[in-house]
Amino acid sequence: MFPRAFVLLLLVAFNAGSPLGRDDERFHEELVVRPLSGDHVNTYFQFTTRWHYGEKDNLYHTQLTPRVIAELLQQFAVKELHIGLTQGLWRYETWGYPIVEATSGAEMWAWFSGFNLTNDEVDRQWKELANVFSGVLCASLNFVDNTNSIAPRHLIRPQFMPANGRKFVRYSTLPREIVCTENLTPWKKLLPCGSASGFASLLNSGHVHNTKYHSLGLKVRVLCEDHDEDNCIVELTQTANLVYDLRLFELSNNDFSLRRLFGMGLNGFCELAQSSKIYVQRNEQGERFQLVPAPMHEVKSTRGGHTVVYSVYDMHEQFKDAGERLFNVAWLSPKSENRRRNLAKPVMPPVTVHRYLLGHGQERGRIVTEVTNSHYDALPIMVQEVIPWYVHAYLHTLSIRRKPHRLNEYGRQRLPFKLLHYTPGKQRELPSHLEIGFMLPGQTSALITIDVDYLLLKWLEYPPDANHGHYIGAAIVSSQLPMGRNYTALPAEGHLFEHSFNATRPSYVLSLHTEALIVSLPTPDFSMPYNVICLACTVVALAFGPIHSVATKMIIVGRQTSAPKNFVKKIFCKIFRRGKAAEGAGETEGAPTSGATEFASTRAAARPAGGPSGDQPLLEDLDEEEEEQD
Amino acid sequence: MGLLSDPSISTQSKLVDGLARHVRKVCYTLYVAGVVWFFCLAMPEFNHGTYLSENALSPGLVYPEIRVDANRLAIQLLEELQRERKDHLSTTPHAWIAAKMNEFGLETHTHNYTLRYPFGGGKEYHGKNIYGILRAPRIASTEGIVFAAPYRAASSVHADISASVPLLLAFADFARRKNYWAKDLIFLVTEQEQLGMQAWLEAYHDGDRDVDVSKAYLRPGNLPARAGSLQAALNIEVQDLEIDHVDVRIEGLNGKLPNLDMFNLVQRIMAREGIASGYKQAPRKKRRHSQSAFEQNLRQMLTMLASQSSGVPNGNHGLFHRYRIDSLTIAANRRATHATLKGNPGSAAVPLLKAVEGIARSLNNLLERFHQSFFFYVLVNNDRYISIGDYMPALVALVACAFVKAYLTWSTLPVTNAELEAAAGLVRDPEQEQAPELDQDGELEVDSDLDKFELPYGSVLIYLTATLLIGFLCNVLPLQQYFLEIPMGAAPLTTSVLSFLSLIGFILPFVVVLPPGGLELLHVAFLLIYGCALIVIGLLNFALGFFSAVLTVPLVISLETKEENTRSTLRNSIRLATLIMNPMMVIYVIVLAMTFYQFPELPLQKIMLRAATAAMDASAYGLIDSVIYGNWLYFVICTIFLPLWIICWTLALSKRRDYTDYLDFDESPSTSPQPKMKTN
Repeated sequence: MFPRAFVLLLLVAFNAGSPLGRDDERFHEELVVRPLSGDHVNTYFQFTTRWHYGEKDNLYHTQLTPRVIAELLQQFAVKELHIGLTQGLWRYETWGYPIVEATSGAEMWAWFSGFNLTNDEVDRQWKELANVFSGVLCASLNFVDNTNSIAPRHLIRPQFMPANGRKFVRYSTLPREIVCTENLTPWKKLLPCGSASGFASLLNSGHVHNTKYHSLGLKVRVLCEDHDEDNCIVELTQTANLVYDLRLFELSNNDFSLRRLFGMGLNGFCELAQSSKIYVQRNEQGERFQLVPAPMHEVKSTRGGHTVVYSVYDMHEQFKDAGERLFNVAWLSPKSENRRRNLAKPVMPPVTVHRYLLGHGQERGRIVTEVTNSHYDALPIMVQEVIPWYVHAYLHTLSIRRKPHRLNEYGRQRLPFKLLHYTPGKQRELPSHLEIGFMLPGQTSALITIDVDYLLLKWLEYPPDANHGHYIGAAIVSSQLPMGRNYTALPAEGHLFEHSFNATRPSYVLSLHTEALIVSLPTPDFSMPYNVICLACTVVALAFGPIHSVATKMIIVGRQTSAPKNFVKKIFCKIFRRGKAAEGAGETEGAPTSGATEFASTRAAARPAGGPSGDQPLLEDLDEEEEEQD
Repeated sequence: MGLLSDPSISTQSKLVDGLARHVRKVCYTLYVAGVVWFFCLAMPEFNHGTYLSENALSPGLVYPEIRVDANRLAIQLLEELQRERKDHLSTTPHAWIAAKMNEFGLETHTHNYTLRYPFGGGKEYHGKNIYGILRAPRIASTEGIVFAAPYRAASSVHADISASVPLLLAFADFARRKNYWAKDLIFLVTEQEQLGMQAWLEAYHDGDRDVDVSKAYLRPGNLPARAGSLQAALNIEVQDLEIDHVDVRIEGLNGKLPNLDMFNLVQRIMAREGIASGYKQAPRKKRRHSQSAFEQNLRQMLTMLASQSSGVPNGNHGLFHRYRIDSLTIAANRRATHATLKGNPGSAAVPLLKAVEGIARSLNNLLERFHQSFFFYVLVNNDRYISIGDYMPALVALVACAFVKAYLTWSTLPVTNAELEAAAGLVRDPEQEQAPELDQDGELEVDSDLDKFELPYGSVLIYLTATLLIGFLCNVLPLQQYFLEIPMGAAPLTTSVLSFLSLIGFILPFVVVLPPGGLELLHVAFLLIYGCALIVIGLLNFALGFFSAVLTVPLVISLETKEENTRSTLRNSIRLATLIMNPMMVIYVIVLAMTFYQFPELPLQKIMLRAATAAMDASAYGLIDSVIYGNWLYFVICTIFLPLWIICWTLALSKRRDYTDYLDFDESPSTSPQPKMKTN
């Protein structure tokens, strides 16, 4: 349904961008600051390393590109790799579209291509690849395996130059992953300058993680000339997309600066960088701010009938003089606005998505994906869902219902499928994978529902904090916009942010992520096994004493003395005998008779030396008997 | 049944025979034991102190940060709202609330819903809820907590709680500037009491429901935005910013309760902020100290069970429970006299704001849904509770009576025709004692297998079905289209339908007379169904099960179909008691008692009349509650209690068919059966 013409475009771009000689590496750093509605500020860092490595053997000697990326290309048949580590959710309604898309938690997808590749081989490589990056980024990507990976059919398309051989793709998300400093630090280590200088020095974990949304991205792709494995470019793009909430700063006004956002000013540029630029959006929400210092120049970009104005600060120029130490940009809002918060409602982006779980109880529910088209014309929509194995989906219940914007209830009107791809899941082995495509009329919402059953898991399969619930990863919704309003993503053939300027195309491929879901599967009372353990331990502890004593004591059968039949007399006799026996034992110890010594020797023979002292009564009995014999 | 009806398993053991003779004594002992056990629970030896089971809550771990400026904002908002209320006498100032939420930086949405009232020609009511979502920075909208405040229009008959919305908004403004939220906070303002909340919850959890416009009563619509799975909810009803005490309300729909941890959390935090708060907290003046601890505890237990038994939630929080969202209401009551004011009026609401903040932060800490602690408990005191394991034995002892009696009745069921004949003979002539002859005859006949008597299972089953059908009709009939079209109010309509069906039930035993042995079998079936029904009701809503058991078990114990040893006065009094136990009558008596308690100054006749109209209203409300909110009470009364009563009535009447019609004995047919004469 979607044209794949951009592959051709890629090729053109590659040929056009040929000033790169063999064996040269370029590093660019960019920072985009976009004030958003609702007192939010989006800061987007992009670090791009591009290396025309020529022959594959050159990959053994890296300069700017991290060694791990170079090794990747030697070890695996991977041609394109995306990893996103995100905390928070991008709010399309208020913030528009992001420059790079990511879903909350960890997300990873990769394209493999090569000669003689088989599906099993790709599965193996995919798992290994995830393990490698689990180590590189300190993320739990090692949990990526067949139970949560799918091979998307239509929605994810390659952005690399296809060499020969078949193409394979694998996609997986880990929605439960929590992104933190431990991911940021190794991510920064992949940069040529590390966090020592340049834009990366702004990324201090204390400030980065106090944002409403932060997303670390890693994208590797290989661009090869057709049928030529030895004329390739490897492109590594590292992105950090942050959204600051100005209200969290507890300011009296809306002013902010780089220093306020990141805790410090900019200390210069990365010396290894070819270019080092800050872009500040000046129209829309950025219009009301005054910039200090005034920008050096402005760029006007018209893309798909939508004009955006950026002010550009070039760090190479800024730090030309030796005197400059720290650079700061301040955004000052006009005085009249200080009191009143910015209440201007943002323009709704053409397509927005939401996902939620309906129904109640722990037995069954409905997964609902809602796609809203606020454009006046019909748009093609594709939805990809990955439903984990612990949730059983029923394909026959899948339906798309529609409602015009003015109504607030979905009626019976249905939308027909244009495309449906479904791979049923398998318990404990495969997730269900669903891709559907349909045309969504203008000014209409579509409600895609599928009924699911929740599975009762085996008790070892519950994660810690089992009552927290299980996650269902986000759905991806893709569309093609005819106009470029709100659209900021880089074109597939470009690699710098400035490549998105004036990049008018016939259509713009949009891909949105919905919310992840939490389902409460039927959860047993886990204190019950605990109680059982306690009980079992008590029983064992109680049983241990007697069993130990039975196992370690010698049993000597004593002769039955004339025990009285009467119960009271029995007790009386026992007390009496005990007293007598103690006396008797004292006597035997004091002056052993010949008989006693004889018996003692036989006893020593019968039992190893140093037996437990608990058998005193038995001995006494014997002694007593002896006396009687005497 | 094969096992039970196998004659080779002799039920004629010595022990059973012995017990069967003393069945009433055994049952009354069990009954007394159950009731005494329940009373014992009020003693401190039988209940436990509350404790927080969920460590993640850690109440009071953080210092409250909300300051007097939030209070100032609340006062300012309250003043603005009071001005708005003058313009919106019977509606909610939606625009003002939405504007404030927007200003504070919440994602604000409105939710429209429609109610089609089933009676009076299907009138339509439209409602609108406003909610703002604070998107938490630490989570991707997978979990949420609800803070709700009902808005009452100025024309409402209920107490004015207009201060709740300003308090909620002041807290929202504070919370919006914090970055530690790990769950989305939803600030919800509902209108039309519980209806708005019900509509919102239904829209949240069943927003896609494809409702048939002509059939659905409440059309909730869909919500434009959600915040993942809701973990907990706090409903705030504040009468004034200057508060005297906080009443924590927990009883929810169908007697469900929030997790005990949530109640404990609220109690701890309120105590830390120095607010007098508690379950059924009364103002300081009214608190009596003369009562003994036992009496106070018992009173508390009984009031809690009483409010639970109706199954009607006593606040908006109660509707959350069925979606497994733990919630409660903190109802802050106005300080009565301003003379006793201690603090400065400018900071009066600070403790309450701090408490709300503390609760919010504790809930924010939750890693898991509430699952520890107890969901089934009875509060004895603010810091003492009875767990389900302790109170269930009381109900089990009561219900055990029914099962014990069922077994013993079964064991003495007539096996042979002769026994049957003997029993029937007694019926024919109850004044005459023929016991010794019966014994002789019985022993003679037991030996001959030819005379084995087949119990009439079929007809008893049909009879049971018929009674259940009457119960089913009670549920269905009042909502049928042709009944709704009758220009009649909801209350008279429901009551007339119910009375009519009760009357059918009343007449049924006179018209349909079971074959011989049928009454005994029906008695066993009745006891089993009764026991099962009570234990199931007791598990779902302990209060309802327990109260109905306490009321009805004595009657059920004394009910007897044989007329061996019963005097006619006892029989008549049992019949009278059965008549009074008619669900309709019970409702009327309860309403009467409540009316009498509320209006003691009225003359008795007026009270009776007023109670009659109130009872009619009550039945209509019960029906509407069951249709809109899903309250089980109406269903339970119609489908379980009414059929049981009809069977009970049949048994109390003990009408038997003329024995000779069935056996070809050349004995002369007797005259008209005596029981009928008696009732007439």
